[in-house]
Amino acid sequence: MKQYPLIAITSNARVSAKAYELSFKAPGLAKSADPGQFIHIRLSPGSSYPLLRRPFSINDIQGGRISVLYEVKGSGTELLSKMSTKDTLDIIGPLGKGFDIDPSRRHHLLVAGGMGIAPLGFLGRRLKSLKLKHQLLYGCRSSSEQIKPDIKMCSMSSDDGSCGKKGLVTSLLSDKLDGCQDPVVYACGPWPMLKAVARICQNKNIPCQVSLESFMACGVGACQGCVVRGSDGGYISVCDQGPVFDSRRIDWDQESVI
Amino acid sequence: MKSVKKIDLRVNIAGLELKNPVIAASGTFGYGTEYSGMAEPRDFGAVITKTITLAPRAGNQPPRICETASGMLNSIGLANVGFETFKDDKLPRLIGKDTVIIANIAGNTIEEYVELAGKLNKITDIPALELNISCPNVKQGGIAFGIDPASAAALTKAVRKVYKKTLIVKLSPNVSDIAAIAKAAEKAGADVLSLINTLYGMAVDSKKQRPVLGNITGGLSGPAIKPVALYNLYKTYHSVKIPLIGLGGIMNYTDAIEFMITGASAVQIGTANFVDPAAVKDIIIGMAGYCRDNNLNSVTKLTGILKC
Repeated sequence: MKQYPLIAITSNARVSAKAYELSFKAPGLAKSADPGQFIHIRLSPGSSYPLLRRPFSINDIQGGRISVLYEVKGSGTELLSKMSTKDTLDIIGPLGKGFDIDPSRRHHLLVAGGMGIAPLGFLGRRLKSLKLKHQLLYGCRSSSEQIKPDIKMCSMSSDDGSCGKKGLVTSLLSDKLDGCQDPVVYACGPWPMLKAVARICQNKNIPCQVSLESFMACGVGACQGCVVRGSDGGYISVCDQGPVFDSRRIDWDQESVI
Repeated sequence: MKSVKKIDLRVNIAGLELKNPVIAASGTFGYGTEYSGMAEPRDFGAVITKTITLAPRAGNQPPRICETASGMLNSIGLANVGFETFKDDKLPRLIGKDTVIIANIAGNTIEEYVELAGKLNKITDIPALELNISCPNVKQGGIAFGIDPASAAALTKAVRKVYKKTLIVKLSPNVSDIAAIAKAAEKAGADVLSLINTLYGMAVDSKKQRPVLGNITGGLSGPAIKPVALYNLYKTYHSVKIPLIGLGGIMNYTDAIEFMITGASAVQIGTANFVDPAAVKDIIIGMAGYCRDNNLNSVTKLTGILKC
């Protein structure tokens, strides 16, 4: 990991009713990042508002250009949504442990809920370059919030039925798994969705990796601020032991921290 | 007037020799190696470890952190690996990194502090100890010893008996008279005082109608608490004779200078490590520049020059 204190924004635009895509050039960072890893952005260097960095999963890397997806959720993302190519960011990365790709698996299934598409976009492109069979199952609230992924889509769902099948992405997963041989599941999305995906996979004894979100301060495992409870009862830090975990390591009965 | 060429950054705090006056505050620099590639132990005059307790501690229920206006709340709850794992696994990675290692400790009882201090007294690579009597996030121990002069004195005295190297006592701002606690710790044998630890604080989520932190309350740090820290430092500097280490919201070199001239012999940076791992280097360069501009050949000349 490295600190890049003066990164110029190359674009920052709305890509759906709620989501934005931020891009910037950082060749050093781009070269060392793996799918599932994240970057930690200081939005106003030199100012104490907002004070803490904000973590974002890497969505795409093309050459030396990196992009992340975000939704306006609080004061930090609100400020970010108003930034332009005139602004610079202070970025730390790449951070955390990403997806563990096992090439011996025959079907790589990517399950995304809403903004959870972000790290799976990068993973999909990596799987493609490795020539591994992969498919995306994508669920969102409605067609206006759909983010067009450029990975092979298997099926889609939405809460209101305005795009894909009406319902939850987890029901698409159950259907899909029934016809799949030797699959592995990678999931990112809201806590209840991840919990359901983890349960489905555990019942069918299918390996499942989940990418978790948490509030973070340091992002490097120093402060222990971003922990979640593990299935062994102990706390595990999302920033350095994750954000991608084997779903069996997580205690799914806890409340989501976000 | 002859201009100063080389600035001496070294400070000597009650016999503890540091190559520069900027110290990593406990709990913000992990066990020293987490920021590798961005900030290294050697950048600091000293690194204070995360608080160590005799047995490992899991820490508090999440969420543990929350941003507030120009600050942050934390309720980590002294999560740490415990003394044995620290000694066998974490400490070896910090030794030989060209910095002074200071261990920060806490306990539930005086006996636990004494036992830990005794063990640390035997570790030659650690020349100083910082007593955490000011953590606001644990129910037992910690701040319980730091809010009353008599208990602060009793604890300091007991540790002093077994600990022969530099003894630093870290004070809480959550008291009505910090000078009384400072004097009590000084009289009981503290070599140095560091101040301030975090302030009690709380954040509420109006949508959920619930506290934001899993522990309900937490400790406030960051730029928001700097005026409180300077006030407590000012008050303490005029009450005791032993050297002081100032901390509380230091983000840049001018903040560090403010603490030095108010009476600190060295400073600690905490929340700034989370926000800007490069802060330590910038602060040291800036402090040297300030000394040069003010014709001071040593950072030690800054201590207490406040005009008032």
